[in-house]
Amino acid sequence: MTEELDEIYRRASALDPSRPSESVRRKVLEHAAALAARPRPAANRPRWRPAIFGTLAAAGLAGLLIVPRVFNPHPPANSADTAVPAQIPPDADAPPGAGAPAMADAPPTAAGAPPFADAPSMNSAPAPSPLPPPQSAARSRTITPSDEQITVPEEDVQRLAEAKSRSAGELPVGASRLDAAAQPGAAAQRGAAARPGAAAQLGAAQPGLLAGQTAATAQPASPPTDPSAALRRAAETGDVQALRVSLGAEVPIDAPDARGRTALMLAASGGQAESVDLLLAHGADPNAADANGTTPLKAALAADQPAIAAALRRAGAR
Amino acid sequence: MPVAGDSAAAGDSDEALIRRYARGEAAAFEVLYRRHEMRVWRYLQRNLRNAATADELLQEVWFAVARDAARYVPSARFTTWLFSIAHNRMIDSIRVRRRHVSLESLGHESAVVTRQLTADPSASPVAAAVARDEAAALIRAVEELPREQREAFLLQVEGDLDIEEIARITGSSFETTKSRLRYARTKLRQMLKEYA
Repeated sequence: MTEELDEIYRRASALDPSRPSESVRRKVLEHAAALAARPRPAANRPRWRPAIFGTLAAAGLAGLLIVPRVFNPHPPANSADTAVPAQIPPDADAPPGAGAPAMADAPPTAAGAPPFADAPSMNSAPAPSPLPPPQSAARSRTITPSDEQITVPEEDVQRLAEAKSRSAGELPVGASRLDAAAQPGAAAQRGAAARPGAAAQLGAAQPGLLAGQTAATAQPASPPTDPSAALRRAAETGDVQALRVSLGAEVPIDAPDARGRTALMLAASGGQAESVDLLLAHGADPNAADANGTTPLKAALAADQPAIAAALRRAGAR
Repeated sequence: MPVAGDSAAAGDSDEALIRRYARGEAAAFEVLYRRHEMRVWRYLQRNLRNAATADELLQEVWFAVARDAARYVPSARFTTWLFSIAHNRMIDSIRVRRRHVSLESLGHESAVVTRQLTADPSASPVAAAVARDEAAALIRAVEELPREQREAFLLQVEGDLDIEEIARITGSSFETTKSRLRYARTKLRQMLKEYA
């Protein structure tokens, strides 16, 4: 009944010869053409905003990707020679700058404390190293708390022991730890005191070095961009250029999002006629329904997009 | 300046057209204008019952569309935005007229007001020519509806808007809008029965 009344009204409107003045049409179109012809700051502003946000987002993403690489203790094989080993200096003579502050919570070795007082914390780490042992293992084995991996020449051990006896209590904390790990006599002790979780202790004692690095390597810096998500986003926003790139990359064209919506569905509901045409031309399924059972055709009709609906029907949409 | 041909833009959605215009394609605006010109004009003319005022407001509405095209955010349909502008311009016009014309409430159930406005010379030839026609009678009945009911009805049939969109544009609740539409249709059906 409602439709009938509306239909009568529309019929009546069609019969009504009243029309707006032709001069109004002329003025409006001239005005619009004049506005289109000149640069409008208001028109540019909204395009700047996404550009700025996009730049910031790209910079953030790049930072997330680059920072872990810079501080990664396991560089790729071809860059092993140039990578900076982020670890405790293996030499007892090394300046304490890198190790000492990071081990502030370790027991002090001065004031009569035995120089190897903190050794158990190092000895007790036969647990699997949080750092995988690829190319950089040679550099990190001095701190790897596994007996099998500590291969310190005897003369070095003796030299270190002498140095330690000369300056007992004066060595930096990090150095004494290393020495303890390097002591051949400590091997049994290390094995006996082995307990899981020691590696975590080690990481906790060195938040600036190992802990931070293992955290950085343990989890990816950022999830990889989903190509199908990029495809859907391009389709939904009408970014035809990006859409062509995605389609050229052979991304599955009907890959749905979490709600079951395909790129075609998003393009249709978003009124993106160009995206719809492009997707259909590339063989997108015109009847792929989302989780609610809504098809692209229904979405286009709901969005009052008759042109898109017609295109979908031509492609076989029901 | 890039200019798209009419044929290329004619199949585009309203939202695509307004974006194209915002990028400087004047032809896209023309397609958009021709697509919606009559709907907006009928909405204004039948609400105000004055063709000259409707012309004036039609121009203002489309000037505003052209000026603010770049600010259009496609979170809502273009027609919702377009008829929001038309509604606001019309309300402003009614307020101005109230100051100058001693009308209790322009468009309300005042038969005097209705007669005064329908006596507009530019509207009378139509009414006279097709007065006996059912269609013309319906249009007249629409024009005689209470203002809120008439506006809700016209937004629905001319703007093709749903109840929620009409409620948002007119600043009314969903239920109120629904009631107005129901009353409007009841009256129009009654009028059609009487006419028959």
